[in-house]
Amino acid sequence: MLDQAASRRLLTTDAASQRSAGSLRVGRINLEVRQSIPLWLQALILGGAALLGIAVSAALLVAAGVSPKDLFDEFVVETFTDSGNFHSILFQAAPLIFVGVGAAVVFRIRFWNLGIEGQMIWGGIGATFVVLHTIGPPALRLPLMMLFAVLAGMAWVALPAWLRMRLGVNEIITTLLLNYVALNFLLHLLYGPWIDPKDAFPHSQQFHSFERLPEIGWGLSSALPIALLCTALAAWLVLFSRFGFYTKFVQDNDRMALAVGVPIKAVTFVCVLLSGALSALAGFVIATAQEGRLTQSFFEGYGFSGILIAFLARNNPIAAMIVAVLVAVLFVSGRSLQVFYQIPFAMVQLIQAIIVISVAASEFLIRHRLHWVH
Amino acid sequence: MFKKLALVAGAAALLAAGSAWGANGFTLKGPPKVAFLYFKAKNDGGWTQAFDEARPKMEKALGMRIPYVENIAEDAAQITPPAEKFIQRGYNIVIGTAFGYSDTFKELAKKYPDIAFLNAAGVTNGPNLQSFYGRTYQSQYLCGMVAGAMTKSNKLGFVGANPFGLVNWTINAYEMGARRVNPKATLHVVFTGAWNDPVKERAAAEALADEGVDVIGQHVDTPTPQIVAQERHIYGTGHHRDMRQFAPKATLCSSVWVWAKYLIPEIKKIEAGNWHPNPYGDFISIKDGGTDIACCNTVVPKKVVKEVMAARQDIIDGKFHIYAGPIKDRNGKLRVAAGKVISDADLWKMNWYVPGVITQQK
Repeated sequence: MLDQAASRRLLTTDAASQRSAGSLRVGRINLEVRQSIPLWLQALILGGAALLGIAVSAALLVAAGVSPKDLFDEFVVETFTDSGNFHSILFQAAPLIFVGVGAAVVFRIRFWNLGIEGQMIWGGIGATFVVLHTIGPPALRLPLMMLFAVLAGMAWVALPAWLRMRLGVNEIITTLLLNYVALNFLLHLLYGPWIDPKDAFPHSQQFHSFERLPEIGWGLSSALPIALLCTALAAWLVLFSRFGFYTKFVQDNDRMALAVGVPIKAVTFVCVLLSGALSALAGFVIATAQEGRLTQSFFEGYGFSGILIAFLARNNPIAAMIVAVLVAVLFVSGRSLQVFYQIPFAMVQLIQAIIVISVAASEFLIRHRLHWVH
Repeated sequence: MFKKLALVAGAAALLAAGSAWGANGFTLKGPPKVAFLYFKAKNDGGWTQAFDEARPKMEKALGMRIPYVENIAEDAAQITPPAEKFIQRGYNIVIGTAFGYSDTFKELAKKYPDIAFLNAAGVTNGPNLQSFYGRTYQSQYLCGMVAGAMTKSNKLGFVGANPFGLVNWTINAYEMGARRVNPKATLHVVFTGAWNDPVKERAAAEALADEGVDVIGQHVDTPTPQIVAQERHIYGTGHHRDMRQFAPKATLCSSVWVWAKYLIPEIKKIEAGNWHPNPYGDFISIKDGGTDIACCNTVVPKKVVKEVMAARQDIIDGKFHIYAGPIKDRNGKLRVAAGKVISDADLWKMNWYVPGVITQQK
C-alpha cells in the first residue's frame, strides 16, 4: 500500500520534472578530467583565482574601516612605484626563491622534504664555520662560504634520503624532526663556542665586509641574481634535460620507471641533494646579505613558505620563482597595511590565507573541466 | 627572545663614541612623532604586552597618537620595511623592542641620521640610536625575598630561558634575596633553552614541583610556570607583567616592566633637542622606571611586604647594591671584591652562580 503511494508520488514528480524541463531546460553539469590544458587558460584560471582572493580580502579590509582608495594606493601604486617598497620586496624575495625552488625540485619526485629550515640552519653554520676559522684568503672567502653552506645542507638532507631509500623510513618524519636537532645544535653553538666574543651575546661575531654578499647597484643585493641563476639551473635540470624526463617518470609511476630502466635511486638522491643545497643557500644569503652574522632565528617561517610556494607553483621551478616574488609582495604590503591602519597582524595573516586558498583551490579547475550538458 | 643591551663595548668604542658623538647632540627636525615596532603580538601576555600597556600612558603624557606594528621577527627583511614606512610618513622617533633588531637599527640609524631610534633589549648605540634595558636583578631580588619568606620546604625553583648574562644575574639575585630572609633556602634552576616554549616550561615547572619545590620563580616569556604552580597548589613569582592575571592564587609578586616611566621623560629629552644617547645604552634602575616589583598577594604577611618595600627604597636611594662585594661563587671563587660593586660589563658577561643555586650548568 505504502509502496504504491510512494511509486505514484515518484511518477508524478518525474512527470513534473519532465514538464518543467520541457519549458525550462536547466540541464546538468558534468565533471571531466582534462587531458591537457593550454598555458593561457591555466594562467587565466590562476589569475582569476588570485583576483577573487584579492577582492574578498579587499571587502574584508573595507569592512574593517580602510577606504577603498587608500587600499588601491597602498597595494598597487605603492608596491610597484615606490622604490623603497620595491627594494623591500626584492630583499625579502631572494631567500623565498631559494626555499620555493628547493621544495619544488624535490616534491616533483614525491619526496616530502619538510626539513628546509634544518638545511637552512646548516647552510648558515657552514658559512659561519668558514668565517670563524678564517679559511682561505679574503678574495676567496665568499665562494668558500657558499661551498661549505651547500655541502653542509646536502649532508644534512642525505641522512633522511638514505634512511628512506635503504630502510623505507618515512622522510616526512625524519626531515621534520631533524629540524629540531639542527636548531638545538645551532643554539649550542651560539650560546657556547660561537658566542660573540665582543659583546658576549648569543650570536656569532659580525662578518667582515668581504664576507658579506656585495650590492650590485640600485641598492639591490647580489643575492637576487644568484637566486635567479640557481632557479635557471634547477629549471633546466628538472624541466628540459634527460634527467628531468626521468623525474617525471618517477613522479608519475615509479614502478613503471623501474621496469623501463630509469635509475630511480640516483634520480631521487640527486633531487634530494639539490633541495638540501638550495635550502642551505637560503640560509647562506640571509646570513651574508641580510644579517651579516649567524643569528638564532634567521630561518623561522621559511620552511612553510617554501612548501607553500612549491605547492602554488605546482612544483615548477620557474613558477616557484614568480610565486616567491608574489609572496614577498604579500608580506611587505601586509606590513604597510599594519603601519597605517593599525590592522591587527591576525588580519594580515587572514588576507594572506584567503589569497593562497583561492589560488590553491583553482587547481581543481585546472585539472577538471566543467561541462554543461543540456 | 632575548633582551639585553650592550654596555660591554670595549674602550676603543668609547673613544670612537666620544669623538663621533661630539659635543653637539641630536636634535629633531620637527615636532616628535613616535612609533613602535613590536616583537610579538601586542597581547602576548608578557614582554610585548608590557610595551602596549605603556603606549596609552605615553600617548596621554605626550599628547599624541602612537601607532605600532606587531609581530616583527628578528630579521632584517621584516624590520626594515615597516620602519622605513613610518619614516616616510613623517615619524621621527622609532622604538624597537627586541635584541635581534640591534644590527638592523644600527644600519637604519646610519641611513636616517635625522631620525631618533630607541631599542629595548638592543646591543647597538650611536649618535641617534640608544638601546635600553631594565636592571631586572633588582626586581627579581625583591621577588626572591618574598619567595624565601614564604617557602616551607626551603626549596625554591626557577624556570629560566637560556644560561647567559641577563638570566644568570636574575637567578643569582633571586637566591641572594631569598637567603637574606631565609639562609637555608636553595634555588633549583631548570633552563628550557627557549624564550617562549610553554610545553618545556610546563615540564620544567612540574619536575620542580615533584622535587618538593614550593615557590617557582621564572625568567621566560610566558606565564606557564605560575599556572603550573597554581595547579599544584604551590606558589610562584612572575616576570614581565603582574602574573596574578593568569594565576591569581599562586602568584605572590611579579617582576614587572614599567616602560612608560622611562620612555616619557626620554622622549621629552629628545624633543628638547641636544639629545646625547648613552654610548653604552641606558641600563635603568627601579628609580628611573624600566623594572619594578608588583607586590604582593594578600597571602604574603604584612611584615614581609614591609621588609621588601624597605629594601626597594634602599635600592632607589642608592643605600643598597645587590652585587656589592664580597661575593663568592658556589665554587668558592671570589667574583666581586669587598668594597666593590660589580661593573655593568661583568653583569652582562655573568656565567657563574652564587652558593645555593643548583643547576645542570657547570
